[in-house]
Amino acid sequence: MRKCLIAFLCGLLVSFQVSAQNKVIKGRVTDETSNPVPNASVVIKGAKAGAVTDANGSYSISVPGSTTTLVFSSLNFANQEVVIGNKTEINVQLKASISTLQDVVVVGYGTTKKATLTGSVSTVKAAEIENTPFTSVDKALQGKVAGLQSVASSGQPGSTQEIVIRGFSSISASNQPLWIVDGIILNTGDISRLQTTANILSTLNPNDIESISVLKDAAATSIYGSRGANGVIIVTTKKGRSGKTRVRFDMEAGKSDIAYENSLYRPLNAQEYLDLSREGLVNLGASPAAINSTLASLGLGNGVDFNWYDAVTRIAGQRLYNISLDGGNDKTSFFISAGNFFQEGTSINSKLKRNSFNVKISNKTTEKLTIGVNMNGGVVSQRAPLAGGAFGNPILSAYFLLPTRTPYNKDGSYNLISSTLGGLHNTIALSDIDRRFLREVSLRGAANAEYKFSDNLKFRSNYGVDYNTAEEDQYNNPIHGDGQATNGRAFSYYTRYFNWTFTNTLDYTKDLTSNGDLSLFFQAGLESQKSAGYFSSLRADQFPPSLTLVYPTSGASPVLSSATISDYTFDSKFINGNLNFQDRFVFSGSFRRDGSSRFSSANRYGNFWSLGATWNLEREKFMEKFTFINQLKLRTSIGVNGNAGIGNYDSPPLYGFGFNYNQNPGSAPTNVGDPNLTWELNKPFDAGIDLSILKSRVNITFDYYVRKSEGLLLNVPLSLTSGFSSARRNIGSMENRGIEFEVNIVPVQTKDLRWEIDFNYAANRNKITSLPDGKDIGNGSYIIRVGQARLTYFQRVYAGVDPANGDPLWYADTTLTTKTNTYPGAGARVLVGQALPKFFGSFSNTITYKGFSVSAQLYYNFGNLIYDTWSGFYLGSGNGAVYNKVARQLNRWTKPGDITDIPRYVYNGNRNFQSASTFNLAQGDYIRLRDFQIGYDLSKQELSKLKIGALRVYVRGSNLVTWVKDKRLAFDPEQGVSATTNLNVFIPKTVTFGLNVTL
Amino acid sequence: MKNITVRILLVVMVITTFSSCKKSFLELNPPANLTPEQALRTEADLLVALRGAYAGLRSTAMYGRDQMVIGDMMADNTYQSVLNTNRYTLFNNYSYNLTDGNVSGLWSTAYAIILRTNNIINANVSGASVNQIKGEARAIRALCYFNLVRYFSRPFTDNPNGLGVPIITVYNADLKPGRNTITEVYNQIHTDLNAAYNLMTTYSNSSQFSKFGARALQARVFLTQNDKTNARTAALDVINNGGFTLITAAGHGAYWANPVIRTDRVETIFEVSADAVANNAFDGLSYIYSQAGNYGDMLCADDLYASFGAADVRRQLYATGVRGGLPSVFVNKYPNFVGDHSDTKVLRLSEMYLIVAEATTNETEARTYVNAITAQRGASAITSTGTTLFNDIMAERRKELAFEGHRYMDMQRLKLDINRGANYPAAARTIAYANFRRVFPIPQTEIDVNPTIKAQQNPGW
Repeated sequence: MRKCLIAFLCGLLVSFQVSAQNKVIKGRVTDETSNPVPNASVVIKGAKAGAVTDANGSYSISVPGSTTTLVFSSLNFANQEVVIGNKTEINVQLKASISTLQDVVVVGYGTTKKATLTGSVSTVKAAEIENTPFTSVDKALQGKVAGLQSVASSGQPGSTQEIVIRGFSSISASNQPLWIVDGIILNTGDISRLQTTANILSTLNPNDIESISVLKDAAATSIYGSRGANGVIIVTTKKGRSGKTRVRFDMEAGKSDIAYENSLYRPLNAQEYLDLSREGLVNLGASPAAINSTLASLGLGNGVDFNWYDAVTRIAGQRLYNISLDGGNDKTSFFISAGNFFQEGTSINSKLKRNSFNVKISNKTTEKLTIGVNMNGGVVSQRAPLAGGAFGNPILSAYFLLPTRTPYNKDGSYNLISSTLGGLHNTIALSDIDRRFLREVSLRGAANAEYKFSDNLKFRSNYGVDYNTAEEDQYNNPIHGDGQATNGRAFSYYTRYFNWTFTNTLDYTKDLTSNGDLSLFFQAGLESQKSAGYFSSLRADQFPPSLTLVYPTSGASPVLSSATISDYTFDSKFINGNLNFQDRFVFSGSFRRDGSSRFSSANRYGNFWSLGATWNLEREKFMEKFTFINQLKLRTSIGVNGNAGIGNYDSPPLYGFGFNYNQNPGSAPTNVGDPNLTWELNKPFDAGIDLSILKSRVNITFDYYVRKSEGLLLNVPLSLTSGFSSARRNIGSMENRGIEFEVNIVPVQTKDLRWEIDFNYAANRNKITSLPDGKDIGNGSYIIRVGQARLTYFQRVYAGVDPANGDPLWYADTTLTTKTNTYPGAGARVLVGQALPKFFGSFSNTITYKGFSVSAQLYYNFGNLIYDTWSGFYLGSGNGAVYNKVARQLNRWTKPGDITDIPRYVYNGNRNFQSASTFNLAQGDYIRLRDFQIGYDLSKQELSKLKIGALRVYVRGSNLVTWVKDKRLAFDPEQGVSATTNLNVFIPKTVTFGLNVTL
Repeated sequence: MKNITVRILLVVMVITTFSSCKKSFLELNPPANLTPEQALRTEADLLVALRGAYAGLRSTAMYGRDQMVIGDMMADNTYQSVLNTNRYTLFNNYSYNLTDGNVSGLWSTAYAIILRTNNIINANVSGASVNQIKGEARAIRALCYFNLVRYFSRPFTDNPNGLGVPIITVYNADLKPGRNTITEVYNQIHTDLNAAYNLMTTYSNSSQFSKFGARALQARVFLTQNDKTNARTAALDVINNGGFTLITAAGHGAYWANPVIRTDRVETIFEVSADAVANNAFDGLSYIYSQAGNYGDMLCADDLYASFGAADVRRQLYATGVRGGLPSVFVNKYPNFVGDHSDTKVLRLSEMYLIVAEATTNETEARTYVNAITAQRGASAITSTGTTLFNDIMAERRKELAFEGHRYMDMQRLKLDINRGANYPAAARTIAYANFRRVFPIPQTEIDVNPTIKAQQNPGW
């Protein structure tokens, strides 16, 4: 492959040719009120590089004699083209724009004017994601795009984020969108194998991003064929603009605290816990002697009252520094940046540090050839505590460890005796003594060349590499905790993904009629990709007593030494085109043929396509009288794309190894396999309207979509008597139907004052439409059932407490008529709601007065339920008696006649109250002040005095206020798309102070 | 010039096309797996697969922990400390339900091991040791069915025509089988054990089945069926012809402290090996009993401890202390969870003596065989007759085989109510034989996918 690239570049070199005879054009660029427009770009039409206006709006550009037209552009202004003719001075007045048909939108394998766009594409600009306290860009996307649900499940810095665009398309295969950065198809997701969570995207500095396009419908995503089903997110990193070199410096520092806390879920203090336990032992029928000795063992009279919750949570710090330089001349432009980011989580042992850089250089080698390289990288160091039910999880210890247990001995040293900690772990000591550490190094680099045969024929080649490594180390000391049983243990895991994408495209444009009314765009492309994963894992036990020897090399007993690889390849051909009539009617089509290593040779290839059309009504004669309408665009598309988001080797029936006996190799069947396995198909339909009125002060986008997934890559449950629990098959179908609404309004726009409102809303209805034999598939707390949404809860219904005796009651049947105090059988389970929200979106306001600006974004999410996994322990009316309880448990039934929803407290549990039921569910509806910012930009006069280009100071708050509908909600309403709590690091609210300077 | 460039570029594009379209580019084989055909091609492959089946027995759901703990906890030998990690709580309370993970764990793990053995038994491979390998596989399969039918069905002694468990001897992923009768399952077990006895010629070590391992298991199966004549014959075959020797009182402590598999044929007929690398770590048997780790949840019932005489060497396997504020008796039968872990004893020679003692119709013979054990434990000899003799043998059996998963199975085959001592929760001290929880439910996960078995759920569930 690399040989081919060299051959190709050599081919390009043959074609160097240069022509001269230049002339110089000067002028000034102003806005509608005749103020100068600095930093406006002046380029020869069709070229990339050009000149930039200075602070007075003046420019000077040298152009070849053959040049006919200059294009003037600047952020927030409409592009303007001027024919040069004989002129040597051209002054231009730019008109303000918010959104115009000339806006260029990044789409798959190129860009397109908004006018010709037939698909549903949302864009996010740099300013919206810069300097946020979010560790990765996927987190920063929450609320920015209608129909894109971005949900965290942990407040751990560097944790993964789940993104779902237009609902779930699959039950067992991936639901995550495809990410593309500068033309490179990325491996995304969680790279950690040993630690809790590590988001590969956290190595990408959001400040290096220029724009993001979110492709949502067939016309936009089908060009990505087998991987377009879940939407595509295209990230373009920042590039240089020609002109004087600009230096930009950003710095920020802040603090964070837990975003949402519910006083009902405050862990009890010693007195409260002991009183409750005494009551529980009495209710159990224990003898007075047994009660006293048990309470003594739980710490009665030891005088300790330690607040573990306070001890494992904290006010966390963070800081950020970024520096960037960009500039260039009419031939070459560059962008270079470096960033440093540090963030602590809201609990002990949780932090992330990132150093990152971005370099992008573009050179117009000849009139016809442009070459470019870019390299973007990050080094992330992360500490993440254990999560969920692990004894080493600090959050677990906040709720489970008794307030009568102390982490410190009288002399101030750590208490490392398990028996004095109720068998649990001293997480405060462990976060100091044990090591959990992850270091990621990621590089995303590409070299590309674009050769213009003529004005209408262009060849482009891009070879990109996405390289990720993760080194994970863990040490558990021999004295206390997870290492105690093995006299100490240490792990060292190494993970590497080398992933390359090689893309070649040929673009052809042609005016089909001599007046230019009908034009054609046609693109043909080839793309191949290979991802090579390499994994090595080792562990040693039996450590020397010194706590400083933390690597496996010090362990006497090597118990794990394992290494393997995991690869996948894709090979694709595609064509893509559109037919444009006067920018009034545009028809588009695409076709892609993908081959993948994930399927057997019989079913390796799949064909994917789309058709789209748009009608720009404002261009019609009959619309001329409606002068208030700036844009009225109707568009629609249909198509087929696919999902191959399964394991690399899921297709063949397999025997696995590692089932060893007496340290000799052993084997066992590990995969049922299906040689006929092939792509899951996704068939989207979209119809949308883009309306822009009142001088583009009101912009509305509305979309209606239906997408059907067929031949799902479903894990079909098998009879366990087969020796397997499930087999992956192409069976079943699912449908998503929804609307999206984006509104942008500028109610006030004067010289000094500007008020902008953004609102977006998305409602999606997910429905499973067929399953094998139409049968339900059990899925933990949920059920997979025809006619119901994915992640629909299927639970026994809790019927409260019997006022007579304090017993928990459940409904015995699905009609919810009979109550019983015996935990009912599986037949009593009913559908009780879903984990996915019915609708969500955001509402933002930005007010700018002279240099001052205030902006606020509210994120809202309605219609889902959240399941509290561990409730049975801290709120189980006595279950897990030796663990601490939360304040809500104090609302228990105590005497006949009490009306409450918490049963009588019985030591060791009251009639299976702790078992799964609707008691553990709470409504997930919430509204959150996701972003609040007050800033001041220095005025031009102040800037010229200081001799700097721009300066902004600001205070920013993230997640400052959270409103929840259900006052019984235990933890943060953001608990992943599956809406299930797991004692993760709490999601933070953050306040930062920042400064941006441009020289 | 221009045309040449175009041509060069087109050539490059064509080359690129072919370079990435080579078939091998999309042909990637899994690096750490084989297809079933590749994995079971030779005699040596079968041996590897056999180890996989043994490794399955080491699962937490099987002899790694559950079978041993539940087999004593559902009876009256072990109980959960008030200071616990919430493991087996619902078995301690006799309130476990349809979706219990231990219940579904036994079901799914036993059938996964059965699949491993089926593929070995059905493999068309020849070689000198194939018979031995297939014999061991058959013994393992018999052991799995024996455990399944005892936990998921009422005892054979109750109604041999009742519902057993599905018999699967050939792999078919899509099968939704119904339950065979209990008799059919026992017939399958005997078919396998007879074949195993005849096929095997080699004794490898204590962690693998041998000819007499199969016979020893069969002795227990016969006793479970209350077929005392055959039980006695099989047990005597092992005692007289197996070449195993009883542990002495002097060697008793060292025997249980030893984590290493044996080749000396002392006492152990078959055990499931856990070594320094392949073990269940926190989820292992040692960790749930030993007080030296973080768990130690499971304690010895006071009445069992009290039944050991002062001179009984078995008493030394138990230590007294305080846990959760209460005086407690700790179990040290499985002390090793660092380095080479304690192995799980499945079949011991002492059990064969106890089977003869129980199965024989000759009281003298009964006393001879039970006293062969008491003599080696520092316990007083049994001299009783009639019903008392039977009760004394059962008491000796409880003491000798405690914490090895036998007790509950004895209560089942003898159809006895269980009377648990004051260590257990007040509401769960008397467990009548008729209590529906004396038989596991067919797990909900199986019911959900298997319409045939849905109508065959055990009563009460």
